[in-house]
Amino acid sequence: MTSKISRRKLLAGAATAGLAVAGSPLKAAAQSSQRPREAKLPDVWGQDFMYQWSPSENVKRDLTPGNSPIRLSHIQMTSAEGTDYAALFKRMRDNGWTACEVGSAQWLSRKLKDSEVREIKTQLKAHDIDFYGIHCAGNIIAPDPEADRWQRHIIEAIHSAEEMGCRLVLTHAGSMYPNRNTPHPQNWSKEAWTRTVNALKRIIKETAGSKIEVAIEPVNSESINNPWAQARLREDVGDPRIMSGLDITNMVHPGVAFRMTEFTNLVFDLLEDQINYLHAKDFVWNGMMAGLNWSMNATGNMDYETFLVRISRLKRPANVLVEFLTTEEEYAQAQRNIRAVAQKVGVKIL
Amino acid sequence: MKKQILPMIAMALLSLPVLAMAAQNFSGSWVRDDAKSDPTPNLQFWLTREPNSGGAGGGGRGGGGGNRGAAPAQPVTTVQHDANSLTVTSPNGAVQKYTLDGKPFSKPMDTGMAKAVISAIVQGETVVISTTQPWGGMPGNASLEIKEVWSLSPDGKVLTVTTHRNTPAVQNSYKTVYNKK
Repeated sequence: MTSKISRRKLLAGAATAGLAVAGSPLKAAAQSSQRPREAKLPDVWGQDFMYQWSPSENVKRDLTPGNSPIRLSHIQMTSAEGTDYAALFKRMRDNGWTACEVGSAQWLSRKLKDSEVREIKTQLKAHDIDFYGIHCAGNIIAPDPEADRWQRHIIEAIHSAEEMGCRLVLTHAGSMYPNRNTPHPQNWSKEAWTRTVNALKRIIKETAGSKIEVAIEPVNSESINNPWAQARLREDVGDPRIMSGLDITNMVHPGVAFRMTEFTNLVFDLLEDQINYLHAKDFVWNGMMAGLNWSMNATGNMDYETFLVRISRLKRPANVLVEFLTTEEEYAQAQRNIRAVAQKVGVKIL
Repeated sequence: MKKQILPMIAMALLSLPVLAMAAQNFSGSWVRDDAKSDPTPNLQFWLTREPNSGGAGGGGRGGGGGNRGAAPAQPVTTVQHDANSLTVTSPNGAVQKYTLDGKPFSKPMDTGMAKAVISAIVQGETVVISTTQPWGGMPGNASLEIKEVWSLSPDGKVLTVTTHRNTPAVQNSYKTVYNKK
């Protein structure tokens, strides 16, 4: 059965920033004033006559780490026939990756035999690798009839995740164009929003009873382009299985590009209990146009100290997927940077 | 024999500090020799994908802009070096003075959001400038250690700056050669 949650409870949940959602309504009410009322960062000098994109001079950085350890993840999982899973997971471990997820298109392209499922689970346990999720392809609000096909794809992925003992599938709000990576002018319209909400309601309904969470990855090219929209989506779908596959970098724009300490804190304050895993990327703004570009982790505008500290303060430990790099050497470099920053601020990475 | 050797040893020992301080003088106007220099990595941005927008495209801070149609001027770096300090004026006019005492001092980075800790010292015939900073000058960046070793050719006409950059992610080195103008 779909477990319904009220809009008020979800609102309170977003506001409590780390407090229990369902079990503590009084606490939630007491904290609700902390939720910013507008989808923007606090005003600073010059806000009345310019888009104020510089941080104020007194931004506070609370780098007190929490107790939740972090596992770093890299998409290397596969269902390719003949895969030596012992060797695969050993290689992940040897290279410092202690969690993994898999792309749905490849994963669902072949039905695994029961013996293969058993072997995968045995080897995951033997190498202490957390196979937590399926990263779904497709576009749940694509022009019909494609939307239906992709929604069924997500449903199939949820069943597979259940079979494998994963905790989540990741998908997106989607685009009104067939390719979700292409922003459509109407992606932020009421029609697009309604299509996303209805698509997710269907997915939740048709997988009722499942414990697999549906993590929604925010991204500027779609309607979930800020943490308020992310929280609102959960409210409108009305199910606690709707979570955040948080990718802060995907939400950056000139208005926050140089205010990432504030933005990172705000995102965590708003979504804390809703975050079930995260993506680790970085970016710079290095051109005249407002086009931001990917950069090596912990060398760009992301405040990695604040980012890692806030992850470590989540009540439920979260895995972090390092992605959008090109070569294995870059992934190794990114991991070294992330581990060095984590060590500096006292965050434990397994 | 002993009487002759002991004074010689004593003189040699006395002269050691002098030798240690005997860096050549780097003063002068210097022009980068592109043919003999290693390619300079992008010191401001470490992009992992091709830029997708126009503009500076990863060029140096403050780059771009004017001088359209004019013959490119040779960028000149000016150095003033005395017993206690090294003052470097870069081609864009930025001036940095180093006191050659090995004591660290902090300096705001270009971003205005972080500080670099710098020290400079004479080592033999070289000057070594060490800098520790957040990689891109933004809060929360991985740490970057930069060590520049300055040396002169015997005739004093060629300046070589060997730069070592260490981050948790990667270590690399490159040399930049300048000819005296």
